[in-house]
Amino acid sequence: MNESKNIDYLTCLFKSLPAQSNSSTFQDTLPEDPQLWIKQLRAQAIDEAGQLKWPTNKDEEWRFTDISPLTRLPFKPAQAGYVPDLSEVRPFFIEEMVNRLVFVNGFFAPELSSITHENQLIIGNLDTLATSHAHVISAHLGQYAQFRQNLFTALNTAFLHDGAIIIAPRNTVVDQPIHLLFVATQAETTHYPRCLIVGDDNSQMTVVEDYVALQADKSSAYITNSVTELKLSANAQIQHIRLQRENLNAFHLANCAVSLDHASRYETISISLGAKISRYNLNVSLNAKAAECAIDGLALITDGQLADTHTCIDHVKPNCTSHQQHKCIVDNDAHAVFNGKIIVRPNAQKTNSSQSSRNLLLSNKAQIDTKPQLEIFADDVKCAHGATVGQLDKDEIFYLKSRGLSELAARNLLTYAFGAEILNNIPIPSLKHTLEQTVLNQTQSH
Amino acid sequence: MSAVLQNLVNQPYKHGFVTEIESEIAPKGLNEETIRLISEKKNEPEWLLDFRLKAYQKWLTMSEPNWQNVHYSKIDFQSISYYAAPKPKKKLASMDEVDPELLRTFEKLGVPMHERAALAGVAVDVVFDSVSVATTYKEKLAEVGIIFCSISEAVQKHPELVKQYLGTVVPVGDNFFAALNSAVFTDGSFCYIPKGVKCPMDLSTYFRINTEGSGQFERTLVIAEEGASVSYLEGCTAPQFDTNQLHAAVVELIAMDNADIKYSTVQNWYAGDENGIGGIYNFVTKRGLAKGVNSRISWTQVETGSAITWKYPSCILRGDNSVGEFYSVALTNNLQQADTGTKMIHIGKNTRSTIISKGISAGKSNSSYRGLVRITPNAQNARNFSQCDSMLVGDQCGAHTFPYIQVHNNSAKVEHEASTSKIGEDQLFYFAQRGIDSEEAVSMIVNGFCKEVFQQLPMEFAVEATKLLSFKLEGSVG
Repeated sequence: MNESKNIDYLTCLFKSLPAQSNSSTFQDTLPEDPQLWIKQLRAQAIDEAGQLKWPTNKDEEWRFTDISPLTRLPFKPAQAGYVPDLSEVRPFFIEEMVNRLVFVNGFFAPELSSITHENQLIIGNLDTLATSHAHVISAHLGQYAQFRQNLFTALNTAFLHDGAIIIAPRNTVVDQPIHLLFVATQAETTHYPRCLIVGDDNSQMTVVEDYVALQADKSSAYITNSVTELKLSANAQIQHIRLQRENLNAFHLANCAVSLDHASRYETISISLGAKISRYNLNVSLNAKAAECAIDGLALITDGQLADTHTCIDHVKPNCTSHQQHKCIVDNDAHAVFNGKIIVRPNAQKTNSSQSSRNLLLSNKAQIDTKPQLEIFADDVKCAHGATVGQLDKDEIFYLKSRGLSELAARNLLTYAFGAEILNNIPIPSLKHTLEQTVLNQTQSH
Repeated sequence: MSAVLQNLVNQPYKHGFVTEIESEIAPKGLNEETIRLISEKKNEPEWLLDFRLKAYQKWLTMSEPNWQNVHYSKIDFQSISYYAAPKPKKKLASMDEVDPELLRTFEKLGVPMHERAALAGVAVDVVFDSVSVATTYKEKLAEVGIIFCSISEAVQKHPELVKQYLGTVVPVGDNFFAALNSAVFTDGSFCYIPKGVKCPMDLSTYFRINTEGSGQFERTLVIAEEGASVSYLEGCTAPQFDTNQLHAAVVELIAMDNADIKYSTVQNWYAGDENGIGGIYNFVTKRGLAKGVNSRISWTQVETGSAITWKYPSCILRGDNSVGEFYSVALTNNLQQADTGTKMIHIGKNTRSTIISKGISAGKSNSSYRGLVRITPNAQNARNFSQCDSMLVGDQCGAHTFPYIQVHNNSAKVEHEASTSKIGEDQLFYFAQRGIDSEEAVSMIVNGFCKEVFQQLPMEFAVEATKLLSFKLEGSVG
């Protein structure tokens, strides 16, 4: 990948940016911003993006993930307008979930969504809520996902036009989980999904963020560049489940930024199944005492896929707890990357943090690069991390065979068990079942 | 921290003094002239000058690395003198002929050469600045065919061996500091163990940096032929200076079939004062090539000195069934910075590696473990176990871990674990209850923490290392 081509790609990309664009077609697709602050936010992001370079393998953050194939794709932003039939999208619905926001190519599709207003929950799309709830949204949007030094967050913010907004006011307990479904339908486009989730004091909710593809042609390539911002105030709790099941030619670049206040609790499970190249950056900042987070992840990849997960857990204040478990099941010539950074700031005493990265290689062409990283600046802390890489245990296979299982069944069972440790934590039965089937199907291909 | 403890922390460096010996110093600055001058002074053959010039050309095209987790003011490579040698006197035949001033220096450092040689059976090849001054036990080693001498002597007497192996493990353009070393190295040690010979004694070298303002560029080459085995010790102390001294050494180890090399280091160079002024910059490239089948390379290091330590003793496990080991204790205090670790590159089949790294940070220091375990696609059944533990003493220091694990073969089994801890108040209380004061308690806890590494050191070094750590940490816990 030569340098000049990267630069060309970015130059073209910037030309298509909304603020600089003379292209009337693009302007037409965007609703006139009702709010000045959104325009300002976008302008800042455009300025920032203009100063950033396309990341290459020479950047430490992208050392193992070569995203140059992206530059070979057209970069046309996705167009609004097309809404698929309900019957096409229905297979992706999760039966327990009555609250559902569906976005097609990053644009809200009210026809496919269903919202039952409960309590005082504010839920909807940015476009609609930007006027009625400008004050509360502007206080949070763009505040956590920093676009400084992050090209893809900057680009997402530059193209900011719509997005999912969930705001749980004080003391609200949302009983029903909320499904945010992002559907990609257009080939050779980039779409920019955006989520903002805010939990005020003592609120509780469960959110499933789901990325799927709906294309006649399964081989079509597209780019998803998503940004999710999540803010929990004192004592708030959230369960955040993230599913990435894009088609196998997609490029998925995602940033998620989480900010936690006093005694709040963030639980997340991210499952990465699809995309040719996927990259998920999760930054959790424990900004007040006694905040907690539990971060689980599973990447199940095969056939030339690359799944890269970068997490950064920042213990800013004392007495916080974080637990992380990340697993990768890598088959055929797939390549998994994990980089888990834990920072314990000076004075963040009594931090309790654990991290484990466990990796299963199913084929001799599979690759894994893992780097669990600790940066500790306080002395009274408990921090441990571990990483393992291995294949299925011969003794375990032998044991199962001695019980009458075939070699294949034994291998599948062990692989399934490896992944099940993560999937078991999913609180939604039908979703858990679907994912368990996916793991079984994928492993049964041998 | 109480005042008493404060005093203990700020113990002055015991080994700080400058020996007044007339030195022959090359003019400051680095260019082709300097390199030719060094080569000429050392009466080197043409191929070695070419080697140096090639390295220099390479160095010119390289830029100083900046990825490491250490901070220092930029080094002006043109203000360093690249050659300093004590004025040559007549060739020495016995210990009595050595400059008495020099001998007194060693005495102060606690290196009783003749005693040590006689009692401990250790041959000490003393490197004083850049030129070997005295070598003992050479004849005894020569009897079994072992060549153990300074590298300059080896260039004169065994040019074919030096030419064959020099730069094969660490190529001239390997990294910025290795290239610099290859261009300007002045002396170092050379050790050749012939086929089937088990070295009858531990080999040891003492490094001293003496002349103010002269960087020291050591070059060490250890070759163990088929079935040979050797244990090599290196220990360091340096006098107190205000200007930073650069030390960019290169160590190359080569182990053939069934050979075994054990390389141990105790490093206690001047770390600068409590404000971080002065101290040695220790930028070292150490690498071992386990070339033959069943070969074994083992690194053990106790790093307590230097303002900045930046080194990754590595093993390239090329031979089938070869074994690589890395045992390290890195202690930092005051404003010291250490970025150290290892690289284990598994290439051969059934290769195994073990990494045990213990980092202790006190005061305002920062220590990092940075390690790489790479299993290449053809390394069937490779096995690695890594453990890196950090201990923090005080709330102003930092401990960092950067383990890179790259696995390209599914038959590999790689495990990594790391933990961070501090000396607990209840632990100290328990000791106090048993009548052991906090200072001794800290020393015992730290030594227990480092036990796995000290066990790897030869006896005298283990004793020295234990003392060194206690001394360095005195009063850091309050």
